[in-house]
Amino acid sequence: MQDNAHIASVFDRDLEGVQASIMKMGGLVETAIADAAKALDRRDTELADAVRKNDKLIDALEETVSADVARIIAKRSPAAGDLRTVLTVLKISANLERIGDYAKNLAKRTSVLSEMPAVEGAGGSIRRMTKNVGLMLKDSLDAYIQRDVDLAEDVRQRDAEVDQMYNALFREFLTHMMEDPRNITACMHLHFIAKNIERMGDHVTSISEQVIYLVTGEMPDDERTKEDRTPYATAPDEA
Amino acid sequence: MSDEIKIAAKGVDVFYGDTHAIKSVDVEIDDKAVTSFIGPSGCGKSTFLRCINRMNDTIDVCRVTGDIRLEGQDIYDKDVDPVQLRARVGMVFQKPNPFPKSIYENVAYGPKIHGLAKDKTELDEIVEKSLRRAAIWDEVKDRLDQPGTGLSGGQQQRLCIGRAIATAPEVLLMDEPCSALDPIATAQVEELIDELRASYTVVIVTHSMQQAARVSQKTAFFHLGELVEYGETDRIFTNPVDSRTESYITGRIG
Repeated sequence: MQDNAHIASVFDRDLEGVQASIMKMGGLVETAIADAAKALDRRDTELADAVRKNDKLIDALEETVSADVARIIAKRSPAAGDLRTVLTVLKISANLERIGDYAKNLAKRTSVLSEMPAVEGAGGSIRRMTKNVGLMLKDSLDAYIQRDVDLAEDVRQRDAEVDQMYNALFREFLTHMMEDPRNITACMHLHFIAKNIERMGDHVTSISEQVIYLVTGEMPDDERTKEDRTPYATAPDEA
Repeated sequence: MSDEIKIAAKGVDVFYGDTHAIKSVDVEIDDKAVTSFIGPSGCGKSTFLRCINRMNDTIDVCRVTGDIRLEGQDIYDKDVDPVQLRARVGMVFQKPNPFPKSIYENVAYGPKIHGLAKDKTELDEIVEKSLRRAAIWDEVKDRLDQPGTGLSGGQQQRLCIGRAIATAPEVLLMDEPCSALDPIATAQVEELIDELRASYTVVIVTHSMQQAARVSQKTAFFHLGELVEYGETDRIFTNPVDSRTESYITGRIG
């Protein structure tokens, strides 16, 4: 990346503007994750409703980013670092929009779950998992601002922990459901929530990879260790 | 693109009197490919281009040192006849410059003086083939006897390319061939350049970064007489190594 300015200063302002939109989106998504987790934890349906409503702001920002990027490409024919900037901005905004959707889904399920008896032990695990993903998102956005490849790589590696947490929850939910079929409805919702948080982690990982591409010009190609074994599980002890 | 090197330059320096215009340039230009030279005005890209067919010989104060080889042969060797060299290494200039003669004569002139046709039939064939390759035959075939200067700018430039092709060169040097043309004529010339690379080694100097990105397989960035960076065009325009290259192609103050 370059510190020196473009000869056409409007180009600088355009690039700064679209990156500012990304940071604004990032802030809204961080809040959405934290609030969705809090609402679930405290059975706070009002806060859950607020998360669902605020997702519209995130969606609107994604559209702004797409339109701005299209305009920059059409008018400026960006090359090299500028090109990577607009490409990564576009992908990161799509990742953030998806994470926002998952947070919204969490909030939706909160209103159902708040009507049911709590599933023992699940609250704490989901809280920890959400906190992890929230921190990863914060770090990936910091890595973006600082153009920090090491931090981005660190975030990428941390996704394995989230996968492990999801595996553990998957086993727990299976156990609860087998013990008492009355747990099935709640556990199904909780399982979707856990899965959605795990997916958030994947999108955060993708943001980190975009940071690495932005700085180095290359996508990281070494395989990360995948810790999600649930696709092959038929019983709690296999996951 | 073949993998062969058509032109190899090593340690080339050019001086205009006391001015050191090209500083120790090494470059290998691929056969049957388009190579573009980019860089700010005065960076030496045109000067270097002109070394490849010894156009600088015509400038008294200009001195070229170092080694430039065309298929292994030193083009500055005293046994090399610059006129013969220029038949092998053709040139197209910034402003279309047809001779003040008919369209036919513009193209036929080179083959005639180089004795490439033994009779009128053969000469007719060369003219038609050259104008077809220059993608202008259909537009001029019914008015070959009319002056070349009467054509539009874009047609004149394609006529000049046809004229350059007529002597059956191996290399085509183009110095800003589209800078005097409108976008449509530019697109036609660019399309033509892409077709020409099947048969020729093309080296193009251009101020349009997008043109370099569009037409060439390799790009060389010159700055203050130095060859700063040279490589695959795709890489240069997505991930240049040198910060000076990045500054230039992204339109920054270097």
